[in-house]
Amino acid sequence: MIAAVLCPHPPLLFRELTGRQDVAAELRAACHDVLSEALATAPTRVVVVGAADEAREWTGEPAVRRFGTNEERRETDELPLSLGVGRRLLDEAGWSGETELVSLTWDAGDEVVDALGALLRQSTNTVALVLGEGSTRRGDKAPGFLDERSFPFDSATAAALESGDATALRGLDVVLADELMVLGRTAFRVLGALGRPLSARLAYDHDPFGVAYHVALWRYT
Amino acid sequence: MSRGTLAHVLTLGRRTFADTDLLVMAIVNRTKDSFYDQGATWAEEKALDRVRVVVEQGADLVDIGGVKAGPGEVVDEAEELRRVAGFVAKVRAEFPDLVISVDTWRASVGRAVCEAGADVLNDAWGGFDRGLVDVAAEFGAAYVCTHTNGAAPRTPPHRPSYDDVVATAIADTVALAEYAERRGVKRESILIDPAHDFDKNTWHSLELTRRLDEMCATGWPVLVSLSNKDFVGEALGKPIGERVLGTLAATAVSAWHGAQVYRVHEVAETRQVLDMVAAIKGTRAPEAVVRGLA
Repeated sequence: MIAAVLCPHPPLLFRELTGRQDVAAELRAACHDVLSEALATAPTRVVVVGAADEAREWTGEPAVRRFGTNEERRETDELPLSLGVGRRLLDEAGWSGETELVSLTWDAGDEVVDALGALLRQSTNTVALVLGEGSTRRGDKAPGFLDERSFPFDSATAAALESGDATALRGLDVVLADELMVLGRTAFRVLGALGRPLSARLAYDHDPFGVAYHVALWRYT
Repeated sequence: MSRGTLAHVLTLGRRTFADTDLLVMAIVNRTKDSFYDQGATWAEEKALDRVRVVVEQGADLVDIGGVKAGPGEVVDEAEELRRVAGFVAKVRAEFPDLVISVDTWRASVGRAVCEAGADVLNDAWGGFDRGLVDVAAEFGAAYVCTHTNGAAPRTPPHRPSYDDVVATAIADTVALAEYAERRGVKRESILIDPAHDFDKNTWHSLELTRRLDEMCATGWPVLVSLSNKDFVGEALGKPIGERVLGTLAATAVSAWHGAQVYRVHEVAETRQVLDMVAAIKGTRAPEAVVRGLA
């Protein structure tokens, strides 16, 4: 393991879904910045990890048309949203090397999380791109409405990402995470299961649409 | 699947309409916090004044609601009953012939308002409480089948996605319509509503509008609720308060495609747009023609 990148996976990271204006330009730029730094370490493989309705390996394309655009519908193998956003970010970063796309379930248990963490940690020349985000309940206009507990929860996540506190991420309160509609519940825990990095950088920590987005880079070499 | 060509009338309680009639359903909120009027008709007398105004403006029916569609202050069954049941009785007393619809998902509220004289149960949360269908059947009320994609009442959309939003909306509303008919709601008193913005993003609501003819082709009368919604605002980059023109454009397109009932805030403007579309379609004679004929 060389490095791990954390990005959120809202559909609006697909530029064509945001309309005439790019409403997520700053977030997308942060994702590009961190991913480019990780890929500059010259990995031979990227493993994309996200949550989905089932745990498996995937091939296919981002399922953008399910969310919108005026394009014709095409029959393709579609990736779940989290992996689709990861795939798109890698494409935008110019990555054409070996890529594995792996999903765990939204409520993946400790054993599954730790097993994937161990596997990734032992992988050589590998960058992990982990997709997940914080509370969906950060305001009256948020998709999950307002739950004040979101603020300390997301602040704790941000602090752990910034300081490389793998233990805190691995041990996050899954019950509270579900109540706050934290779609990064599994992703954060997988990142935690990778263990403490040599350095950590939190590049983005905002909630422009009522959902907590974090972008971070953890380096292991 | 299709209602076919059997029924060519729409019966809403005490009134029957031809399938070429385009009906304006005026929103009357007995809420403190609905997104557009922000409590303007929360007081009962204000709401009654609103009914008087919209009837004067040409509304064919009113849609009375006691619970904001979006999340917010909890309105339990008892509070919803307090807000709407007595009010429906007052509107009925003053307007014996007016078609009264009530926007609710609760069967108990549906029963109370039907006893007070309501003609239509607008089940805006798509059969969440299946008992509401049986209330409509029992009272001979009309019933609106709304597509909410299984969302719980008052849940805003979060990353909804569809293989084909139009196909899904048709399949789900037609299934609910057929269920309502099996439970005893009169066939000519069942409507379907694609429910713009309910568990849908702006792309989805725009596509539903663009392909509304497919929904109308089922033969079930289609109700649309477009008024000042976020899909209009996002399409044009306009905040609440600046969406009337966009709403009227969507109204015209929907009328052209064949929707029959329009749930709206702006009654007079909608009436004029619908009359114009009807004149273009050839289902309504022009009001007065002299030009070139003298």
